[in-house]
Amino acid sequence: MRDREEIIVVKGLTKRYGPLVAVNSVSFSVGEGEVFGVLGPNGAGKTTTVEILEGMRTPDSGTATVAGIDVVREAAKVKGIIGVQLQTSAFFDGLNLVELLELFGTLYRRKVVGRQLLEQVELADKAKASYKHLSGGQKQRLAIAAALVNNPRVLFLDEPTTGLDPQARRHMWGLIRSLQQEGKTILLTTHYMEEAEELCNRVAIMDMGRVIALDTPAALIDQLLAKGFRNERPPRLANLDDVFLDLTGKSLRED
Amino acid sequence: MYLRNRQALFWALFLPIIIMVIFGLFNFDSAPKVKIRVADQARTPASEAFVGALGQSGIVELTQGDREAALEELKKGGIDMVVVLPPGFGAAGQQPAVEALYHSGRPQSARTGETVVNRVLDEMAFQAAGVERPFKLETRPVEARNLRYIDFLVPGVIAMAIMQMGIFSVAFALIQFRQQGVLRRLKAAPIRPGDFLVGQVITRLLISILQTAALIGMGVVFFGVHVEGSYVTLMTLALVGGALFITIGFVISGYIRTEEVAAPVANVVAMPMMFLSGVFFPRDTLPAFLRTLTDYLPLTYLADGIREVALEGAGFVQVWGDFLGLGVWLVVCFILAARAFRWE
Repeated sequence: MRDREEIIVVKGLTKRYGPLVAVNSVSFSVGEGEVFGVLGPNGAGKTTTVEILEGMRTPDSGTATVAGIDVVREAAKVKGIIGVQLQTSAFFDGLNLVELLELFGTLYRRKVVGRQLLEQVELADKAKASYKHLSGGQKQRLAIAAALVNNPRVLFLDEPTTGLDPQARRHMWGLIRSLQQEGKTILLTTHYMEEAEELCNRVAIMDMGRVIALDTPAALIDQLLAKGFRNERPPRLANLDDVFLDLTGKSLRED
Repeated sequence: MYLRNRQALFWALFLPIIIMVIFGLFNFDSAPKVKIRVADQARTPASEAFVGALGQSGIVELTQGDREAALEELKKGGIDMVVVLPPGFGAAGQQPAVEALYHSGRPQSARTGETVVNRVLDEMAFQAAGVERPFKLETRPVEARNLRYIDFLVPGVIAMAIMQMGIFSVAFALIQFRQQGVLRRLKAAPIRPGDFLVGQVITRLLISILQTAALIGMGVVFFGVHVEGSYVTLMTLALVGGALFITIGFVISGYIRTEEVAAPVANVVAMPMMFLSGVFFPRDTLPAFLRTLTDYLPLTYLADGIREVALEGAGFVQVWGDFLGLGVWLVVCFILAARAFRWE
């Protein structure tokens, strides 16, 4: 993506937890407007990398900037311009969703219209509900709405579709695409390869704390085929996911 | 948001009220009566006059029975004293010994009983001898400010309630928020821990103040407690005390990771103060070193302050020492809370 302005620049990022090197001199950059996927098995260092970029953890060495702002030295400033959806987090129970989003707005010193954000993530009908009464997919969409309160240029989504049913997953894909169309840069981690293929302009594959591959999904597949790899069961024109959605419909089932 | 948790609000008020009612029922104020059983072996007009006079003394709960059974009852602890009137009691020319047997474990009742019995016997002797008393004792009540136990108790319980609401509500709520990941999400927002702490203390303080006002109101309405001093001084004390105990709750939630551990720790902090800070009983009965030590407990400052304002009409000037004590604790605890605070 050489034609894009670089908005996230990571250089030699390293983070150790005792003897474990969770992130081992990781470098990459993300262009503005890209959907960038960080893939890898559990424990590969995806979440640690993302949380360093979010200003939530300090690396042992290396640098990272978001929109030119150093994430270590100016963590608070970075937090102000990014939107964050964490892998494990929750929201206050005592408030309804509109109040919750408006409260989050005040954390960024912004006046937000909770209902508008809920409409953007298609949760408007749950405006008066409380967080604990939401389904898994709804909770993830609320987390994204909360990540949008400061109208961020960069969004970090950590496994936004883990645990969702196929309908909710596809719905989330649609939401991510529409956010990209608004011009937002999105850094996404996922365990689902078809999701990465579907959404990401480029992906970085991590293992044992290192980036072991970085390119567009199509280029990575071509590289594999060039090595002579052939899928033992050639893909068919439809898969079980399509069967499931054909039988159960594409509409959301969580209400 | 916290106002929505109506159950929590109710129980925070319910416990102090229950304590006020239960302790209010104990009648600590009237002197207990001495239980005396008379074994009248004389059955003479004189012995009957003795029994009648003793019964009218007002501080004796009088029963009659024979000597042996009465002694048994005394040994069981059912009565405090047995008085035996021997045969020939009151007959002219005789000087029979009146036996007064008392419960060795209750010297106070024994002394009261002995005094009363002696006085009745003296009275009878004067009458028998036809002696006119050379002087007379006149007793008259003087209208004095009537400090009942409940007047002592209610300010103490209000101080205790402020402590409980602060320590328990905050410690548990914060640990829950952290375990659920609510605080983790806040960490991703551009908000400093200190700002978050101050915001939390202020919102919770507003609720604590409302609860305190409700408790004082109930103390005045249902238990007839008079507030001699100004309500402004009283509420200012409640405000500073509330802030302190909320901050103590934050200190606990900062150092303790799980609710299971927080419960005993919060109790270890709160319970000793409840009993050592003179909430239920004056601290005068504590050993001297302990009394000096408990002078410096946070709850002592709050309970003493509230009590002085409510009962003695003390103003800001008289309770400045309590304010100072609370203030010092508040600063120390806030520094601890800020250092111990963790988002995750």
